[in-house]
Amino acid sequence: MKRLLLIDDEETILFALDRYFSRNGFTVDCARELEEAEALAVCTSYDLVIADLSLTENGSTEGLEILRYIRRTCPAARFILLTAHATALVEHEAMRRGVDAFLHKPRPLAEIARIAATLMEGPRP
Amino acid sequence: MKRTRTLLDDLTNPGAIRMELQPIVDLSDGGPRLYMLEALARGPRGTTMERPDVLFEYARRKGVEAQIDMICIAEALASFASLPGRSRLSVNVHSSTLASVEGFTRKVVDCATAYDVDPHRVMLEIVEHHNRWSAATFQHALAEIREAGMRIALDDLGMGASNYHLFVDCRPDHIKIDRSIVAGCSADPWRRAVLASVAGLATAVGSTAIAEGLETFADLKTLQDLGIDKVQGWLFARAMPASELAQSPFFRTPSSPDIAPGIEGERSGNAVNQHGRPVRSQEKTH
Repeated sequence: MKRLLLIDDEETILFALDRYFSRNGFTVDCARELEEAEALAVCTSYDLVIADLSLTENGSTEGLEILRYIRRTCPAARFILLTAHATALVEHEAMRRGVDAFLHKPRPLAEIARIAATLMEGPRP
Repeated sequence: MKRTRTLLDDLTNPGAIRMELQPIVDLSDGGPRLYMLEALARGPRGTTMERPDVLFEYARRKGVEAQIDMICIAEALASFASLPGRSRLSVNVHSSTLASVEGFTRKVVDCATAYDVDPHRVMLEIVEHHNRWSAATFQHALAEIREAGMRIALDDLGMGASNYHLFVDCRPDHIKIDRSIVAGCSADPWRRAVLASVAGLATAVGSTAIAEGLETFADLKTLQDLGIDKVQGWLFARAMPASELAQSPFFRTPSSPDIAPGIEGERSGNAVNQHGRPVRSQEKTH
């Protein structure tokens, strides 16, 4: 079974993503903070990571830190970054750090799942 | 809406961190007998922190491993005190905690006294992940621990920063061998060589080796052949809450709960189960 790490500070989004992906064959871990996500990444090998860009306040960029960390510790994982407050600068930085998909919120769960499935089917980085 | 309450707030709530106890079994002199209990931390149920590896990795990243260690020690003593008899308790502590918590030993002794646990029955398993402590403070803390009558074990020798340098510094009474070395040792000469090396090291300095993560009879025989007769793992018992452990054969037999001839040569005690054989992890004993 594929392992998914979900990272978002908003419980409702986390809940919805967790339920959706769990029902679609993923083993899901949920993190709400940067340090929690990093601790999970140290202890578990994930196939897919879906992270919100901002975990503490609007405009913060913890998602980019997690992306950098995952690329170091779990380079084969697919990484999807979600944000409601995208800027070209942030998007450029995410690409530079090796994000697989940069998605603007809100986005239907089915579409996120479709993008994830496409990424998972492709060759590993 | 952004969260204002962090996971750390939840972790430090009273009762959020639970302790389970796993028997360490003595196989010498016709054992098996209960030798000691290791306290293992579990974070809040249903959270990612329920896994101890994640819990402590998170604590380290938050820079609060000392705070979490002290909570775990207190919870471990509370759980241990609820059990009948005079067993022994082993509890993990980061070396950085020893060096950073002012009056560490006094706090542990005070806590043990509060739960009516003799400090002589307590062993601290030193866990090392990063060499961040002041060597002088660390040594001072170790001396205080010994003076208070507590024992010292070195956890997971050979793993991470738990190296020979720390072994020399700690001069441990016990050496814990990680499950990654123990599991599969019967079929792997490289693992057997490491085990033989640690067993020899322990003998040379009058220390006692304890093998963790024992899950098969084949590995058990290999350990015994190598002279390692203190073992811990699912082959004998999983970690469980004190209330459940109190109902297990370790504590339920009429002669229980005295312990095996061990650290201080106390008289022998109870068998592992009512059938006189090791209990597999999947077997419920009550």
